[in-house]
Amino acid sequence: MKMGMVIDLEKCIGCRSCMVACKQHNAQPPQTWWNRVFTPGSHRHLTPPIKGVEFFLPVHCQHCENAPCEKVCPVGATYHAEDGAVLIDFERCIGCRYCMSACPYGVRQFNWEDPEKAHKRSEYQDAYHYGYPEDHRHAGRLVYTPLRPKGVVEKCTFCTQYRDKGELPACVRGCPGKARFVGDLDDPNSEVSKMIKAKNAFTLLPEKGTKPTVFYLPPKPKEV
Amino acid sequence: MSVKIKLSMWASGCFFLVGLAVWFYQLQQGLILTNMENSYSWGLYISGLAFFVGNAAGGLVLTSSIYLFGVKQLKPLAKLGALTAFANVTAAMLIVLPDIGKPLRLLNLLLHPNFMSPLVWDVIVLNLYALASATYLYILMLPELTGRLEWLAFKVDDAQAFSERWAKRMAPVALLFAIGIHVVTAWIFSTQGARDWWHSPAMAPDFVSVAIAVGTTVVLLAGALAYGTGEKYQEAFRLLGLIIFMAICVHLFLMMNDLVIHAWYGSGETHRIIEIAWGDFAWFHIFEVAAPLIGAGLLMLPTVRRSLPRLAMSSALLIAGVFVHRFLIMPAAFNNFPMTMTPLGLPNSHWSLPIATGRFFPGMSTFIEQYSYMPSLVEVVILLGIVAYAVLLILLAIDRLPILVKEKS
Repeated sequence: MKMGMVIDLEKCIGCRSCMVACKQHNAQPPQTWWNRVFTPGSHRHLTPPIKGVEFFLPVHCQHCENAPCEKVCPVGATYHAEDGAVLIDFERCIGCRYCMSACPYGVRQFNWEDPEKAHKRSEYQDAYHYGYPEDHRHAGRLVYTPLRPKGVVEKCTFCTQYRDKGELPACVRGCPGKARFVGDLDDPNSEVSKMIKAKNAFTLLPEKGTKPTVFYLPPKPKEV
Repeated sequence: MSVKIKLSMWASGCFFLVGLAVWFYQLQQGLILTNMENSYSWGLYISGLAFFVGNAAGGLVLTSSIYLFGVKQLKPLAKLGALTAFANVTAAMLIVLPDIGKPLRLLNLLLHPNFMSPLVWDVIVLNLYALASATYLYILMLPELTGRLEWLAFKVDDAQAFSERWAKRMAPVALLFAIGIHVVTAWIFSTQGARDWWHSPAMAPDFVSVAIAVGTTVVLLAGALAYGTGEKYQEAFRLLGLIIFMAICVHLFLMMNDLVIHAWYGSGETHRIIEIAWGDFAWFHIFEVAAPLIGAGLLMLPTVRRSLPRLAMSSALLIAGVFVHRFLIMPAAFNNFPMTMTPLGLPNSHWSLPIATGRFFPGMSTFIEQYSYMPSLVEVVILLGIVAYAVLLILLAIDRLPILVKEKS
């Protein structure tokens, strides 16, 4: 079993629902976003750079097979789970941020302070907390906690807390255009494997040799 | 003890304590007190690591010159070389601590080391080099550990011969670790395929050449401050000046070689590197080239080497230039986001994906495409605290231990 994700850019309407679902479900502190959706070529989202070439690109952890972040981690806090997802052990991470400079996709986020303080500064109501409320351990290792300790790195886990219960990641469930698919890349007959083959899937920064397990299906050119 | 030394010891001691206090404050508040953010995740502290590692090369230059190449004139400076090496390599390890988000978990490096990580290799070689330079210093001091210091001495029949023999035996081992710290520290950066600015095979040899230049300058400066610039030491100083000048030339060649290659091809990401290195940071770049070159050039002049103020100024200029060079490790790496693409349907255009800063302050934008990093006051004070630690350690050792060769009256 090798988990993989396919994002069909033809179906992506740039609504950023996956961004918000991801942020909420994973209790990301203010100014931390595991998942980003932008309009390539444009400095302003949902504004085409040039007539006719507008499309949207969601980017989060690419769960690389050859992950530089895992290789550089001095204490093995970043590791591959048995299903191919790259996870971070919040109890192991020493916060050296080597993984952040090693990741070419810029998806890793650091807890520069206690998230509670940022919550206060952003004027959330007292005692308001969003996100999956419990700690989650994957094979004994703490890979999700709603209140992140300061000084550790975090990133997309493919929603390990949901997948371990047989549910889909929040971004997949929250996508109104049904543009996201997860499945087994090792099985040539899985939906994702078939789409990758049939629709000219591409990966981000293939020249870096990271072998992402997140694939994108190219959009058709459209008139705006 | 002269009043000057006493004052310097008090001043550096106070600075060190202030740095320590600020570090505790940062421990409590988090790295939010620095000016780093998600897209610019290493700053002054890691530049400081590279800087101190370079400064620690003095021991290497002296031991190998004296015991491998037989340059006897440098012998009075041997202990000073080992001492500055020890002070700087421990400073290099200390400056990493404030950069670590969870320093109390450092034990994980022993419990769960990942031997693929160049950071683990660096921890190993830095510790081995610290141990080697301390042992080496001890062996060199052994014959003079008498009287009040006798309890420190390891009992051997003929301390002088023992010291001489073991210093010679240790020299090649120490040399290996010494080269190792520069090469492995460079590998932390140059193994990273994500960052075009770092991903260069020239980085490790360049680190060695910078280190030979600046490490030797540290010993030269320490030697001149300790012994003065009398005729007796001129031959040693001349040799050190020559080593410094040659090493700076090699360093400038390696650096320019890299930049010219990037500039020549000049498109896409590489163009962005040049925009930062020669554009945004043009003045810094001019300083990183001119200051070491002028400093090393001046140290080639006998009149400069004969005057303590001139020698000190030239050395300080060179060290400052190397410090700026270390600072410039970061901007062209972090302000050139690797996640760029040519948007489909828009050939010849170049777009980088914004990154969330991770630091919330009202009114600040969440996603950014580049970031002008300048260290915060907290970062500067902590770095100065570590510099003060190295100075204090050297002064204390000179004061309490037989580091300096006594003038025979």
